[in-house]
Amino acid sequence: MRLAGLALGRGAVIAFGLMGILVLTLAAFRLPIGDSLRLITQGAFGSEVGIARTLVKSTPLMLAGLGIVVAWRAGMFNIGGEGQFVLGALTGATLFRLAPHVPPVVLNPLILVASVLGGAVYAGLAGWLQVRRGVSVVISTILLNFIAIQMLDWAVAGPLQQAKGQLPMTERLPEAAMLLRFNRQTDLHSGVILAWIAAGLVFVFLYLTRRGFQLRLVGENPSAARVAGLAVGARQVGAMALSGGLCGLAGGVEYTALAGQLGTGFAQQWGFLAIPVALLGGLHPLGVIPSATIFGALFAGSENLARFTPTGSTLVYVIQAAAVLGYLLLNELRERRAKLAEGAA
Amino acid sequence: MATPVFTAHQISKAFGPVHALSEVTVALYPGEVHAVLGENGAGKSTLMNILSGFLRPDAGELRLHDHPVQFSSSAAARHRGVEMVHQHFMLVPEFRVEENLALGQLDRLTTSLNVETRAAQAVRIAQDLGWQVDPRARTGDLSVGQQQRIEILKALASDAEILILDEPTAVLGPDEVEDLFRVIRALAQRGKSIVLIAHKLREVLAIADRVTVLRRGKWVAEAMADDVNATQLAEWMVGEVPPLHEPSRAVTTEPRLVVQDLTVRGDRGETSVQSVSFTLHCGEILGFGGVDGNGQVELAEALMGLRPVASGELTWPGRTTLPRRAYIPQDRHEDGLALHMSILDNLLIGGQADPALAWGPFLRPWRIQAWAQRLVEQFQIRIGKISDPVSSLSGGNQQKVVVSRALNLTPDVLVVVNPTRGLDLRAAYTVHECLRASAEAGVAIALFSTDRDELAELAHRSLFMAGGEFQEDLNSALTGGVA
Repeated sequence: MRLAGLALGRGAVIAFGLMGILVLTLAAFRLPIGDSLRLITQGAFGSEVGIARTLVKSTPLMLAGLGIVVAWRAGMFNIGGEGQFVLGALTGATLFRLAPHVPPVVLNPLILVASVLGGAVYAGLAGWLQVRRGVSVVISTILLNFIAIQMLDWAVAGPLQQAKGQLPMTERLPEAAMLLRFNRQTDLHSGVILAWIAAGLVFVFLYLTRRGFQLRLVGENPSAARVAGLAVGARQVGAMALSGGLCGLAGGVEYTALAGQLGTGFAQQWGFLAIPVALLGGLHPLGVIPSATIFGALFAGSENLARFTPTGSTLVYVIQAAAVLGYLLLNELRERRAKLAEGAA
Repeated sequence: MATPVFTAHQISKAFGPVHALSEVTVALYPGEVHAVLGENGAGKSTLMNILSGFLRPDAGELRLHDHPVQFSSSAAARHRGVEMVHQHFMLVPEFRVEENLALGQLDRLTTSLNVETRAAQAVRIAQDLGWQVDPRARTGDLSVGQQQRIEILKALASDAEILILDEPTAVLGPDEVEDLFRVIRALAQRGKSIVLIAHKLREVLAIADRVTVLRRGKWVAEAMADDVNATQLAEWMVGEVPPLHEPSRAVTTEPRLVVQDLTVRGDRGETSVQSVSFTLHCGEILGFGGVDGNGQVELAEALMGLRPVASGELTWPGRTTLPRRAYIPQDRHEDGLALHMSILDNLLIGGQADPALAWGPFLRPWRIQAWAQRLVEQFQIRIGKISDPVSSLSGGNQQKVVVSRALNLTPDVLVVVNPTRGLDLRAAYTVHECLRASAEAGVAIALFSTDRDELAELAHRSLFMAGGEFQEDLNSALTGGVA
């Protein structure tokens, strides 16, 4: 109960804070605040289509955000969600290229599994580099992002390019191999549910299993984890792999749910945006659900706004940046207050 | 008699309930090498930190050239010619030697940073002392002994009149110690006054003109080095040695752990424990004494299986499987606790595999909650809520968390390192009672402690470690067999 109350209080603070930031951002862009807010709300929640868009936009954020949570909880600052997202989708597309005639019912789950594996290996590599070679995972994952994007650009114009047509695009998946859509009018797909389930599973893993407990211990104090008999390095690599797997799954879902093909524009920065999503979610798997949803709504809403104003989704990025800075400020203040209280005691 | 250049007069300093120094007086005369001796916890480092301006005394005064001074910081002390050479070097490993040397002059930087000219004086001094110093070398590539030279040169280059060396020989090999002593003597001849912290008596007698001995924060004796011998100094350091308890309770003769010719390497690959052998019996508390850093932690970790055995072996008589081992590590903040995690989580460390608390890979939160509450009550850990971060507890209660979870594992063997360091008397007493009770219940306990009283009180017998080997008793551990 108390926990729920606490989360609610915290949620309220964050919601109000975001609202304030949104208003300030609109003002900074010299947009009429009332009208803009109405357009955003309409776009995000105003109709069935709006709600669907919000959920669809929140899905990659949620899955990749969960990935970030897992890695950061283990003390591995994975900045490579983007690369893992791209590589996940790319692995899935490669699978389709190599085995195009697999029955569609099997193909979809296979592609998703492949994207998990692709992301996991890619992030695990960065983890291994840190544990064995002392290369900071922050640096390596940032660089691996660039490599992944280059690989995408090369693959869709090279080995994975569709047989007919000139565009740098992969072959389109057959409709039956795509994730289930609930109706024709909206993009709402079963990946949305997958993301929610993933959030629940990550929560169970981190807080209700031995492995998850050990992972958090490794993140909080690797030295104590070692003394408690854990192989810290192996756990860190494992956490990175799990993190990359989730980011890769985000890529796989995006690939098999919406376009069904990859192009150079496939990387939409979801992997980067997942970091602020995870931070605002308090680095907690259940916190990621509202946090990803809020940002999904902002994307959906600002798309609507963009139809009437020239700002477009720039707004979302500005708001997100401001929100993260505000969040860090809030944390800093809270820590200072805690320290003051400690000093007084 | 000459007047002292630098005097610490009736200095007292307390950290919370712990009196690190009470009314200690030390006088440093010009051109003299003055050694401050004492066991761990005697207050040597606190005294040095006060002399060099890192700490301010609660009471008493510092007098420089017979004028009272107050150092607001170590920079202020440096301005007045008092320089400290730390045991842990304050060098930037990525910098070149000359850059580190120039760093010592930073507070006098005004316009430009011309590294070469600023380092020039230090390089001259080095040549003068017969040290080869390559100002272009990357500092991190130098050996520890060479880095120490840079640190000393840094101090000398700022015209320090008084040099404070904190355990300068701790990191050096025998040849390097010889060379360092040569330089210390040369400096003293040039009129510098040198304070030296040490606990190796042989070295102190070799280098010091005058010796002050501290014991538990109190001044015990001062003497000219020529007038005393190692035995006398050891007695001063240790005080009246209470005879170690004969095993008051019947200790079984059933061996639980036999260690044979065990050699263990430290973090840097050096030999930390040198082919030691002993037997640990059921229900026995076997003490391991000696000064910090003589292989205790490495041996403890090897017993726990946390550190690979380089050679030799551990055998567990009469067992086919490994016994249950529990560990109370030396530094609870570093190795024992995850401070941001809850009290509950911290109690759970090491215990997650307990079938009563876990179901396959899953934890059983309600059972864990109840179990943790029981543990808290049983060990009388004073907490707010069990979900509070463990950092909210006092040091004593934090230690109780570590102790209770170790004992809760119902270990066959318990390895304990300095379990009461930093605790007040009451908390220390509770911890001691816990250890005693588990020994009586048949647990074999290896107790590593630098606190001799603790060993005297708890251990059925004790071994003393020096340089990774066992010495017969504390005095030979201190004197390195010279007495």
